[in-house]
Amino acid sequence: MAEIGMAWTARGAWTGIAAAGAFGTPHDGVRVQLREGLGIASLIAGQEQEPALERALDSRYGLSLPRGPSAVSSASHTLLWSGPGQWLLLAASSAGFAEDCAGLAGLAAVAEQSDGRAVLSLSGAMVRQTLAKGCMVDLHPRAFPVGTTALTSIAYVNIQLWRAEDGPEGAVYEIMVPRSMAGSFWSWFSASAAEFGCAITVSRD
Amino acid sequence: MSASTQPFRRGDGGLIDRSRPLSFRFDGQGYQGFEGDTLASALLANGVRLVGRSFKYHRPRGILSAGPEEPNALVELRAGARREPNTRATVVELFHGLEARSQNRWPSLAFDLLSVNSLLGPALQAGFYYKTFMWPASFWERLYEPLIRRAAGLGRAAGLEDPDHYEKAFAFCDVLIIGGGPAGIAAALVAGRSGARVILCDEDSRLGGRLLAERREIDGQPAADWLKEALAELASLPDVTIMPRSTVFGVYDHGVYGVVERVTDHLAVPPPHQARQRSWRITARRAVLAAGAIERPIVFSGNDTPGVMLAGAVRTYLNRYGVLPGREAVVFTTGDEGWTTARDLFTAGGRVAAIVDPRTALDPELTALAARIGARVFAGSVVCRASGSRALTAVDIRDASGREQTIACDLLAVSNGWNPTLHLTSHQNTRPVWDEAIQAFVPGTMPVGLSVAGSAAGRFSLAEALADGARLGREAAADSGFDSAAEPATPITDPEGVALSPVWRVKGGKGKAFVDFQNDVTDADIELAAREGFRPVEHLKRFTTLGMATDQGKTSNIAGLAIMAEQTGKTIPQTGTTIFRPPYTPVAIGALAGHHRGRDFRPTRLSPTHSWSQNQGAVFIEAGAWMRAQYYPRPGETDWLTSVNREVLAVRNEVGICDVSTLGKIDIQGADAVDFLERVYCNGFRALPVGKARYGLMLREDGFVMDDGTTSRLAQTHFLMTTTTANAGKVMQHLEFCHQVLWPELNVRLVSVSEQWAQAAIAGPKARAVLQGVVDAEHDICNKAFPYLAARAVTVGGGIPARLFRISFSGELAYELAVPAGYGVAMMEALMAAGAAHGITPYGTEALGVMRIEKGHVAGNELSGQTTARDLGLGKMMSSKKDYLGRLMAQRPALVEADRPRLVGFKPVDPTQRLRAGAHFIGIGKAATMHHDEGYMTSVAYSPVLGHWIGLGLLRNGRERLGERVRAVDPVRNGDVEIEICSPVFVDPEGTRLHG
Repeated sequence: MAEIGMAWTARGAWTGIAAAGAFGTPHDGVRVQLREGLGIASLIAGQEQEPALERALDSRYGLSLPRGPSAVSSASHTLLWSGPGQWLLLAASSAGFAEDCAGLAGLAAVAEQSDGRAVLSLSGAMVRQTLAKGCMVDLHPRAFPVGTTALTSIAYVNIQLWRAEDGPEGAVYEIMVPRSMAGSFWSWFSASAAEFGCAITVSRD
Repeated sequence: MSASTQPFRRGDGGLIDRSRPLSFRFDGQGYQGFEGDTLASALLANGVRLVGRSFKYHRPRGILSAGPEEPNALVELRAGARREPNTRATVVELFHGLEARSQNRWPSLAFDLLSVNSLLGPALQAGFYYKTFMWPASFWERLYEPLIRRAAGLGRAAGLEDPDHYEKAFAFCDVLIIGGGPAGIAAALVAGRSGARVILCDEDSRLGGRLLAERREIDGQPAADWLKEALAELASLPDVTIMPRSTVFGVYDHGVYGVVERVTDHLAVPPPHQARQRSWRITARRAVLAAGAIERPIVFSGNDTPGVMLAGAVRTYLNRYGVLPGREAVVFTTGDEGWTTARDLFTAGGRVAAIVDPRTALDPELTALAARIGARVFAGSVVCRASGSRALTAVDIRDASGREQTIACDLLAVSNGWNPTLHLTSHQNTRPVWDEAIQAFVPGTMPVGLSVAGSAAGRFSLAEALADGARLGREAAADSGFDSAAEPATPITDPEGVALSPVWRVKGGKGKAFVDFQNDVTDADIELAAREGFRPVEHLKRFTTLGMATDQGKTSNIAGLAIMAEQTGKTIPQTGTTIFRPPYTPVAIGALAGHHRGRDFRPTRLSPTHSWSQNQGAVFIEAGAWMRAQYYPRPGETDWLTSVNREVLAVRNEVGICDVSTLGKIDIQGADAVDFLERVYCNGFRALPVGKARYGLMLREDGFVMDDGTTSRLAQTHFLMTTTTANAGKVMQHLEFCHQVLWPELNVRLVSVSEQWAQAAIAGPKARAVLQGVVDAEHDICNKAFPYLAARAVTVGGGIPARLFRISFSGELAYELAVPAGYGVAMMEALMAAGAAHGITPYGTEALGVMRIEKGHVAGNELSGQTTARDLGLGKMMSSKKDYLGRLMAQRPALVEADRPRLVGFKPVDPTQRLRAGAHFIGIGKAATMHHDEGYMTSVAYSPVLGHWIGLGLLRNGRERLGERVRAVDPVRNGDVEIEICSPVFVDPEGTRLHG
């Protein structure tokens, strides 16, 4: 009887909040990419499971398990430390991610979070000046090099922040916020980036 | 643009741009100034001396200083929603179209009716508020306070919403330098060259400090050249940040500094997307305070007359702004520095009629200077009186023999040495210490990581400032791990005289002599405080108001202490000093709030189905941080109750859907997961089969109920717990505590999945029929295959993973369906489409609440943290076969007393009567007093099924009193309703509907 229903279309975490375009002064001092369609899962390993989990992640994705606040990436996957014995596995595409999760199920408590997080990628000449208006973490390159992550808050929204490989305009920061608070986060972000000008693109899968 | 419209503007000189004239208005009158002016310098250039009336006596006041310490020249700036009271004209940068008004005058500045207060002086002396208006107390709010406020107000707030945007920001550095004068710049250069990350803050728009106001030489060149080179070098260093218009207002623990940056205060209106102000929290490994010093006035009769000005301020107006603050000047100085003022006045084209110096033996170089500029010298003399009604016209000079003579003048420059600007050093609750040599307080114990350079340390010469700055900048960088190659050579400066013999007050003049200009505290008030026993400094401050209000006594404290010391036969250090607290200068609340006002005060959480509810016309209500759909009014429905009744009846008779995504959801996995649940819930979970859900009740360690919800066993070692919306975060923390601290040995892993799932309740006799149209056909959900409390993974929409739970809050046949949050809206649309034929109706939290009250289910109102499981009628859930958190403490005698308030239901004896939550239960015929209080109504609802109001409440020994009558008394809303005690389950007590 399921055919009674209409087509089930997934709604991105940023839908209705932000869309491709630009805002603020006409300078493009900040570039934001709304990263829709990521696969995200939390992995929590018991002490005795860690070596096996580490081997599995290494053989599947070529990623080593970070033991401190850092992020490691391959072309398709990123592994973020998110607390002692806890990680987040990110896949650039949610396609096939269920298999990723199933494959790790015996090695850690795996819980899919793909729909529970809104992720954006920030870069541009004024990105640090923008983040300074809410981020209580020192982002100077000496203090926050590529591959660093922090669990912190911006505008009273709990976030996870990490620094990806540099892009054409220098440092690239990724921010992950709870889906329910994406609107409030965006309200802060758009007010903070407006003076520098901001260009928005959307990446899907 | 000629300066002809500005009669007191010099023809050349100064750091103003004469090619950029700016028009402005003061008290409605149009004037012109130049870019680079402050409001004060522009007013002086136009010959405006009288700028305000004083706080208590409404005496005419002029401009005393040229900086943030200004006590007199407070004005209302801008108009309309941007109107801002108590801005200091001395730091307000002039902009085109600036509009300012004087304060404290009525009907006009020149003619102020309330200046009669001056004649009432004796009645208004220190402490008069406390004495005069003591009695009767009831007059305070109605009469005295409005009267005092009208008479003594300091400007008016805009009273409209602030149209500007404010920001908060965070910065980090190795070395923070506070103050951009010679010491601060020297420190920044050395620290910056070492590679350290340096932030240099200065409250001024322009860096340079006193170098901007003095005619000095460094290394044989004009100081301005040295400054220009230094600033260019700082700008070239990549890790040096210069923050002008930024005041460091507070020092906090662990190297944290509060800073307010006036981003666009110098413009009429902020440009698009620009903040008006920004408050910074700067974390610094080390900091160098190079805040300079504040000049001290002298207390003598008429010392508040417009035209009496601090000598350093006179030099600032002359040299920085190209303004002559007067044409005919007298200089009253207790040290060598004041003589420089005479020189600069002369150089700028003013006449110096006299130099008055209480010292008898004067350096011949000084007297030679006086001869050169044609100034009469009064050695061993003092100015004992300044006179003039709205502006200075003459001063009386008294020599050592007591002989007085009057000299006509329109400017009196007063030089009495400087007080280090050490406020920040005492923000960590340490007091400054007295330095006898310079007759000033200097920093005492310093906050960790902070050092003090130059004038702020009481080392007033330019040479000392440059040397201190370089040394401390180097040390601060080295402490942060950045060593400098070599000790830099200290620049050579031109000679300067620093000899000083300060005079605190000149007695014997006729008329009032002011210590604190802003609060109208006179020397007589200090003497009165001494006579009446208010001698300790803290008492002195509160009795006289000395050192209060916007300037916090920056120009007045020392003189006040000196007079008290004299009265009590003590020294100034024995008299002590009050301690400085943040902020150093006033900070707008808007800057501290930043982005977080209105809707952005705190984050708002939106359910994944929010946009669907919006499209359905929902009225939303705040539930914690969440916005939840409260009800869905339909066209023609004019009150909420009509809508809610319709929604309830739709669920009871047909089917309804409600968003429940906001419930907390915790994923629990691990070999010991069931043991973990056994310990955190008071009821048993060990026997729960895979594929089933169970209601669970969680106690706090102290035995009271903490939260409730259902937990489902998804697999042998995999559970999904739900919590109430309100307690989602608290329960997660509690479980983490239990796992990490109490039972780390348990193999269990917890993670919140609240955000991952959109969840809807589908309730009503036709719920199954609707779901059969949504759940993929291969999942059999008939009553037999999917009975009450079944909980299983299913798929929807052709393979989308979902979870289905047969649980009910409404008492009807009901399910909760969960899908990944991205499909939340699609799920609601699919349910609506599938339910169209069954009369499906969306319902909100209000109908949800009505139905749970009809069923006697507890919620937040009953889970108040003061109720036990037994109180709530859930005592039987407390297992006797296992141990669990709260078990022992729940057995405390007070928690098992027979007549504890216990949950029961209530209905009005007269069914037309309304019930109110919060009403207290009082026996019939008894007085409504605390003594007769038997409990209170926790929840009420109008039951459309029963056709009358119903309530739940906690009544003393309630379970044993069914059928009895009491009253529900609500003194707040004048309610007094006779009610009957009944079972809390009003609808379908047998629970047959659940299993339908």
